[in-house]
Amino acid sequence: MTSLVLTLTETLRYRGAIGQWSWVLHRLTGLGVVLFLTLHVIDTSWAVFYPELYVRAIAAYQTPLFTLGEFGLVACVVYHAYNGLRIALIDTRPAWWKYQQRAAKIVLAATGITLVPVFILMFSHVVKFYQSPESANVLPLVEVLREQLPFIAGIAIAVIGAVLFSAVTGVIAGDSEAQTKRQGSQIERFWWSFMRISGLLIVPLVFGHLAMMHILQGVFDITTQTTVVGTPFINESATAVEFVANRWGLVVGGVFVWRVYDFALLVLVTIHGFNGLRYVLTDYTAKSRLLKNASIYLATIGAVVLLVVGGAALFNTIPATAIEQAELAMERLHGGEGEAHEAESGAASGETAAEEVPAETPESGS
Amino acid sequence: MDLTFRIRRFNPEAPEGKRKPYWQEFTLQNVDETDRVLELLHRIKWEQDGTLTLRRACAHGICGSDAMRINGVNKLACKVLAKEVGAKVQIEPILGLPVLKDLVVDMEPFFAHYRSVMPYFINNSAEPARERFQTQHDRELYDDTTKCILCACCTTSCPSYWANGDYVGPAAIVQAHRFIFDTRDEGAKERLDVLADPDGVWRCRTVYNCTPACPRGIQVTRAIGEVKLAIMRGSPEGIIKEGVGEIATSSG
Repeated sequence: MTSLVLTLTETLRYRGAIGQWSWVLHRLTGLGVVLFLTLHVIDTSWAVFYPELYVRAIAAYQTPLFTLGEFGLVACVVYHAYNGLRIALIDTRPAWWKYQQRAAKIVLAATGITLVPVFILMFSHVVKFYQSPESANVLPLVEVLREQLPFIAGIAIAVIGAVLFSAVTGVIAGDSEAQTKRQGSQIERFWWSFMRISGLLIVPLVFGHLAMMHILQGVFDITTQTTVVGTPFINESATAVEFVANRWGLVVGGVFVWRVYDFALLVLVTIHGFNGLRYVLTDYTAKSRLLKNASIYLATIGAVVLLVVGGAALFNTIPATAIEQAELAMERLHGGEGEAHEAESGAASGETAAEEVPAETPESGS
Repeated sequence: MDLTFRIRRFNPEAPEGKRKPYWQEFTLQNVDETDRVLELLHRIKWEQDGTLTLRRACAHGICGSDAMRINGVNKLACKVLAKEVGAKVQIEPILGLPVLKDLVVDMEPFFAHYRSVMPYFINNSAEPARERFQTQHDRELYDDTTKCILCACCTTSCPSYWANGDYVGPAAIVQAHRFIFDTRDEGAKERLDVLADPDGVWRCRTVYNCTPACPRGIQVTRAIGEVKLAIMRGSPEGIIKEGVGEIATSSG
């Protein structure tokens, strides 16, 4: 803890050049993305396991707090991606260090240039939403915050669990604190190259994902009767669950393309992100074996939970009744006006969707 | 011209309760713009406050004794002129090593890291009659890293080192680089193994504070990068390409 405070204050005091600020931004943007990733993977899995919760999560995403967060998220991803390319590139050719300052400025400029049209498009979704009657249904801030409490609790439990586990393993291992000789770590060698290779693979995947889910269609389009991005299907019931079902139901050449895409993204981003978290945490916990090991356990727990939860959702079929449950949840959430009719017609039109979505939503309920 | 100094002081022998580090200001008159900061610190010590403690030996940028943080950046006091620092200059000890008194830090942890990379020539083959020959090209591979004077400017400019004193630090990696890329040396494998430790080169996050901090102009981050690549490939061979041959051509 003291070394974190020291590093924070001294980084502000040391007159380092732009490289120092690139490093600070890379860490902050990385941490921001990992935090959102945790929420996002868990609540997307609810589309499969708890449709009602998923509807509520998407409703929370359609509030000003998360709209601001979404703009921040996109900015974080874009900066982290461009700066990651700068890092990886110079790592392969150390002699190019003399271009690093220029590269750092180019990264900032490119981030700005990318974000202008992206933010304009994203903002147009926001404007469209607040001009539509649906904006009357926006959840109040207090309720949105209350919905996030389980996440805060979950993260707190993971942190406490990691520290306790570290304490227990520390007691079992005993006080072998004696200075051990430095020796090569094959694991760190692996992680160093993994971070660079996975980073390169993630860039096109995550840019595609952002383009589809945040820019071409925004979070507000998830609950409208439009053609679902990247598929020929229409979200008949205008529920978030059907949106997910449509995407994950698209089969091209016998392959569930978006499931494969999302799985690749999930695995690479989760491992990259949580190893990054381990880097950041272990940098500042070197003086305490308890906290250092706890950092490693926390990163491992986080990665395993997200891979298991996200993987389970991606390898499961969305149950037949999920869309109806989602419609009911929408009705309950928005007090019924207007939505009720759509819910009725939606149940009927759900059938057409079912025919278009092979092997996905048998819709036995209607 | 007048020059105001703001100096970080610490007296370990001060009475209990007064032992905290503090800032103290001194003003010097008749400062010449070509005076070096080291000389001005001497003037303060000799003319105003004899208790001001600092370390220096050669005073000409060779011995590496007077590294300190001058206006927020690590430098050798003997290589900074008054005209470079403005009318007000702030001076504090380098960060990451225990402060003994005022601007003097305990260099032992720094030297322990230095020793850990085996900074000496290793070659167990039979000694030749005269000397071990090396081509000009091969000599240039590590020319840059021979310049290190162990002043600790780079290591104590590194946020990774501030946070974690177990990190071997830029200077030790530079010193290891000098031998790893020496074609006559046979200890590269052992050194690469030491530096592949989790607290070896992997703690370098390419922040680039070390390179501009070096008073000898060593391309520190580049050297660390080359050692990382040597670890990845298991051998230093063929890693350095750019920049080699420059000395041979420039000297004609």
